[in-house]
Amino acid sequence: MAISASDIRSALSLPVPSTPGPSQPSQPALRRPQIQPAGKPANQSTKKPEGISRELYALIGPSAPSLAAHLAKPRLKQKPNLGGSGKVKWEWRPFKNDARGDSLQLSHWMKVTSDPEAEYPFVKYNVQSAPFTYSQDEYTRFLEDKEWTKEETDYLFNIVNEYDSRWYVVYDRYEYPEGPARTLEDLKDRYYSVCRKLIRNRPWAGDESSKIQFISSYQFDKEREVTRKGYIASLETRTAAEIAEEEALFIELKRLEQNERRFRKDRDELLRTLLGVDSGLPDVIGEEDGPVGLVGETGTSGFKKKKGVKGGVGIGDESPMTPSVISLGPPVPRRPQSAKSVAQDAIHCIVRTDPPASSTPVQKTTHVPAHLRSFKIPLPKTAIAPKVTQALTELGVQHARLVMPTRENCMQIESLLDAATALVETKKVVDRVEQEIRVLRVRLGMRGSEGLEGGGEDDADKEADKGRGTPMEIDEGKEEEGRAQSVASTKSARGRKQSRRSISVSSIDTSASMSTRAGTKRQKRS
Amino acid sequence: MVNYGGDEVSALVVDIGSSSVRAGYAGDDTPKAIISSYYGYKANTPDADVQMGEAEPQGDASTEPAKPKNDAKLYLGQHGPSIWREGMEIGNPVRDGTIFDYNPIPALISHALVDVMRSNPSEHPILVTEPAWNTPADRERMAEIMFEEFQVPAFYIANTGVLNAFAAGKGSALVIDVGHSMASITPVVDGFVLRKGLVYSALPKLVHAHARHILVGSTQTRRGIDLYPHQLIANKSPVEPSAPPRFTLREDRMPGTTDSWKTWYENREVDEWIQSVAGVLDQGWNEQAAAARPPRQYEFPTGYNMYFGPERYQVGEQFFYHSPQLVASNPNLPKNIPTLLSESLRACDPDLRQVLMGNVVLTGGGSLFAGFADRLETELLRNFPHVKIHAPGNPIERRYGGWLGGSILASLGTFHQLWISKEEWQEHGRAIVGQRCK
Repeated sequence: MAISASDIRSALSLPVPSTPGPSQPSQPALRRPQIQPAGKPANQSTKKPEGISRELYALIGPSAPSLAAHLAKPRLKQKPNLGGSGKVKWEWRPFKNDARGDSLQLSHWMKVTSDPEAEYPFVKYNVQSAPFTYSQDEYTRFLEDKEWTKEETDYLFNIVNEYDSRWYVVYDRYEYPEGPARTLEDLKDRYYSVCRKLIRNRPWAGDESSKIQFISSYQFDKEREVTRKGYIASLETRTAAEIAEEEALFIELKRLEQNERRFRKDRDELLRTLLGVDSGLPDVIGEEDGPVGLVGETGTSGFKKKKGVKGGVGIGDESPMTPSVISLGPPVPRRPQSAKSVAQDAIHCIVRTDPPASSTPVQKTTHVPAHLRSFKIPLPKTAIAPKVTQALTELGVQHARLVMPTRENCMQIESLLDAATALVETKKVVDRVEQEIRVLRVRLGMRGSEGLEGGGEDDADKEADKGRGTPMEIDEGKEEEGRAQSVASTKSARGRKQSRRSISVSSIDTSASMSTRAGTKRQKRS
Repeated sequence: MVNYGGDEVSALVVDIGSSSVRAGYAGDDTPKAIISSYYGYKANTPDADVQMGEAEPQGDASTEPAKPKNDAKLYLGQHGPSIWREGMEIGNPVRDGTIFDYNPIPALISHALVDVMRSNPSEHPILVTEPAWNTPADRERMAEIMFEEFQVPAFYIANTGVLNAFAAGKGSALVIDVGHSMASITPVVDGFVLRKGLVYSALPKLVHAHARHILVGSTQTRRGIDLYPHQLIANKSPVEPSAPPRFTLREDRMPGTTDSWKTWYENREVDEWIQSVAGVLDQGWNEQAAAARPPRQYEFPTGYNMYFGPERYQVGEQFFYHSPQLVASNPNLPKNIPTLLSESLRACDPDLRQVLMGNVVLTGGGSLFAGFADRLETELLRNFPHVKIHAPGNPIERRYGGWLGGSILASLGTFHQLWISKEEWQEHGRAIVGQRCK
């Protein structure tokens, strides 16, 4: 570690020697005010404060004093200030409760400092509800009811007001002499209907909607309440046997539902199995050669291995020679096929496929059940699936269902989908590039005002011509691709160059995948 | 201070029950003065230092034999009825929860407030409790006593059911109050008693009578037990359990002992036995379960002691179950707790039943009966799916729940507008009590 002279100096807290430079005067008295911030004593900042290591101080430099303040000598925790130091005097003081209508003088202990004239703090809780009242005239005009006399209605309104609309209490205390027995619903119904009528027939200060809202707050449906209470009562009056029966029925229902679910599952399972056999699959040959799968299912590793083994021979799979391929390169050790079975396979056009190689070869391969080949056609990515469908429909290709999902047909449709996907993706690229070009154009145009315009445009035109003039021999090789191109041809000529390029790539891709039967995996590269 | 809504104006709370009178300052958690409601009196004493002041000019005093004459000398409180005095009778102004004899009431209240608490009633507002089945005339009478005799500045009378709910911190509750002489079930909604759902019966008396019957009646294994109070026993010597007691009575006192005093003290013995020995099984009556519980020893003042086995659980069973023979033989049998419960709930609105069952408050000294709360819970859960019982574990809160609720109520700042002031009393007369105390 290199130790400079200044380090030693600061460690020994020696003063900094005056290093006269061309712009600095040699006297320290003159130099210091220049480096030190204004308003600070000069010697304080040059001296290292207590409690800070020299290296740290060298880092923080002259801003140390603010930190040094925090490193002051530790003190004991400050005593909390519990609301003033002096004694608080209390006095027994009479107070006036404004909620009372009389002159009762009660007293309580209050702080001497508190305002004796202040309002009693609990008065604000004395809230009275504004009761509905009606005149004789209003009663005769709107509120007549053959069930209720005016006297009883008055009594009802009094008692509701007295108990602040606590309806259970109102009902409990309701004792109108020589009146008919009233239920709680009767009382509520009468009260609320009177209120509604009063609101409806009185002049209303606010707008109509607030009036309707106000009326709806007095809504009461007697029939519904009575029915509801009836339900509650009937729930409560169930006997133990009824409750037990209800519970048993509920459990029974649950059980039936469960059975139903299981049956459906079983049936589906069965149907799947049966249809698998019925749908023209080759005869299921035991377990000896592993499960018979679909071509498209071969995993990446299996594919690579095959490719490595077989070299360039990609079309061989279509020949009856396929089993030999399988016997060569599956990740799971299996016994080699006998010559006899190979011959038999060849005769009966049996195609054997590898089980999908799992990413962890140590693990035992899971059993692959028998399945329909047509189920295994890879679908385009969900993000672009609708576009692919649209493009195909535009081209008049009916791809939704294969009439004869034979091995070849499946491969065909696979490659078709691959191509369509590639087309759609290309179109996306084209759009992007076009946009870029437009932006560049604009920028060019801006520069063109400075005189460079002509040359830039020429370049662009040339490029466009080149794009237009390039023949599309590869594309024309395949009918589907040609048609797909026609979709793209609606695009501008400038975009065309790009699309052609990528399409040619993709068509190569497709042909490759056709030959190697692994379009799904390859597709990801494009 | 404002935070919890309290504002203490040094009000007094007086709770008169059938076994004791509780009095104290509002805002406290325990009554300052707890004196027996029973009082001793000598009918014909010449000295007239009666604390009753102006006696009530009630005509019905002569119709009741248990009442003392107006000029009788009263013996109250700690050194009152429990001390043997020659010719002293025992009286209780409370019958079936309500006050039926107002003559000794001022003396009792005065004893509690002035002699025990050393306070001056004319300086403090007073809150008095009443059972839910109190009559308007009774509460007006109480107001009159307070205003006219004690010159209180303000008065309020509140319902024990409501106060018990308040003591449990609830505005709505189903209050099951098992006291010394009455068991009641009071539905309380928003601080108001639903009178239609209020039911009560003298069930504790039946339990008491049953216990007495068990003790006094002789069985195949033992003779009936003598319940002489210790004041009448000159000496005794220890005996083996279930052996006949060896004691001598104080023959000098026997002639001067009145029947009422002897009965009262014997009842105290029975109560004590109930409190220490009797219990109730938590899952209903079951011979095996009762026999499986350990017997408990109890010694009476005579020195007689024995182990009480299953019979001690029969006592508590009376709270919850009455045998059909018993019901048939006694048409006026007090209703047991399940009957009271179903009656009370039937009278309540179906909407309310769930609320009430979720807020059951168990209170009253009688509810401290061993195993009562557990058994009650079993009984309730048998019929209602969602039950929550609030039963304070603290015996003070259980026994003086009514007083405690009154203490809470009278120390609330918002309550002070409800006091009936002396001015209002003079202006409106008795009617103000019914208007104010709903």
